[in-house]
Amino acid sequence: MMTETKKKLGPKYLPGDLSPDKALERIIRVDQAGEYGAKRIYQGQIDVLGDTEIGPTLRHMQDQEQEHLDYFNDQLVKRQIRPTALTPFWHVAGWAVGAGTAMMSKEAAMACTVAVEEAIDEHYAEQRDRLIAEDREHEMVETIERFRQEELEHRDIGLDNDAEQAAAYPLLYQAISKGSKFAIWLAGRI
Amino acid sequence: MTDAQLALEEKRDQLIEAMLPHVPFDGWTRAALYMGAEDINLSRKEADRILPGGPVDLILQFYHLNTVKMNQELAMLDLPSMKIRERIATAVKTRILLNKDQKDAVRKAMSVMAMPQNAIHSTKAMFSAVDAMWYAAGDNATDWNYYSKRGLLSGVYSSTLLYWLDDKSENHQATWEFLDRRIGDVMKIPQLKAKATGILNKLSELPKLRRSAINRMKVKA
Repeated sequence: MMTETKKKLGPKYLPGDLSPDKALERIIRVDQAGEYGAKRIYQGQIDVLGDTEIGPTLRHMQDQEQEHLDYFNDQLVKRQIRPTALTPFWHVAGWAVGAGTAMMSKEAAMACTVAVEEAIDEHYAEQRDRLIAEDREHEMVETIERFRQEELEHRDIGLDNDAEQAAAYPLLYQAISKGSKFAIWLAGRI
Repeated sequence: MTDAQLALEEKRDQLIEAMLPHVPFDGWTRAALYMGAEDINLSRKEADRILPGGPVDLILQFYHLNTVKMNQELAMLDLPSMKIRERIATAVKTRILLNKDQKDAVRKAMSVMAMPQNAIHSTKAMFSAVDAMWYAAGDNATDWNYYSKRGLLSGVYSSTLLYWLDDKSENHQATWEFLDRRIGDVMKIPQLKAKATGILNKLSELPKLRRSAINRMKVKA
């Protein structure tokens, strides 16, 4: 209740804020880029660890990311929104992060999953709250919420698979988490 | 966009439409706009309220009107039954033919937009024009191809438009042939790409060839 009354104070939009249409464009663009990047991270991990006992889990998670990506691809086309211009970069960088951590160890790969999925969870929650506050795009809010639950499952899978046992876990976690957040910031804009 | 915004946009388009016949004489100026407004019984004050700004603003609205009209005309055609190449050619033709009686207005608009200080506006306008064409053609690219497709089409469209301005042939026949050749050029790119990939693949086999050559020399010795 407190937060609700708090939010009503002050103007809804300030000078310099994006218009609701522009904000939604940015949301869909960044989500599509994020799911694309996530898919590539898992691809990198599968290329290294695909034949180990963790392989099927990685493939399962990648399939879910593919489903999310399909949804956002569809939204981009339907609403005539331009996609991120950095796709070639996400293609390479995503794979490199995935393969790099997977080459360190299985635990490092899982730590990478935890860091990325947690950043995405936070980001989806923010979008959901924003769209709910503006009371629009109800179908998309539900979908984003469903995707967010699945991303949280991925994080839990990571934690169950000894992510926190990875060498220099706090360092790795912070680096990847900050990197993901920077990528999110960039993908919406470019 | 809200209903009020849509209604305003429609009014702006009507005003631009009314202004067009005056552009060949007075250019993209307020004077031409006021004369157009008079033709559709709008006062100067109302014209100022609906469409403030200078030549660039008026021209951008003209481009917007073109996009709206092109979309309307393309919606009446059976684009999905055509090949992609035909769909794009049809879109370019449709857009150009919208102003077949207003060549001078188009020419004047292009010369204003070609000035360096308007480069950003004209780039954006070109992007939205070719984006509308690809959207109408049912393009569903969401990766880098999205940009390469639009980049290539903007080259095709802008060169065709320039060719058309000086085309005196009957029914713009020469322009459509020019357009076909330009699209043909673009279609060669995948072939060139395949060739380049072939050469690159061969290059990656070079170390292997070298090794087998050394082995053969060793056998001989």
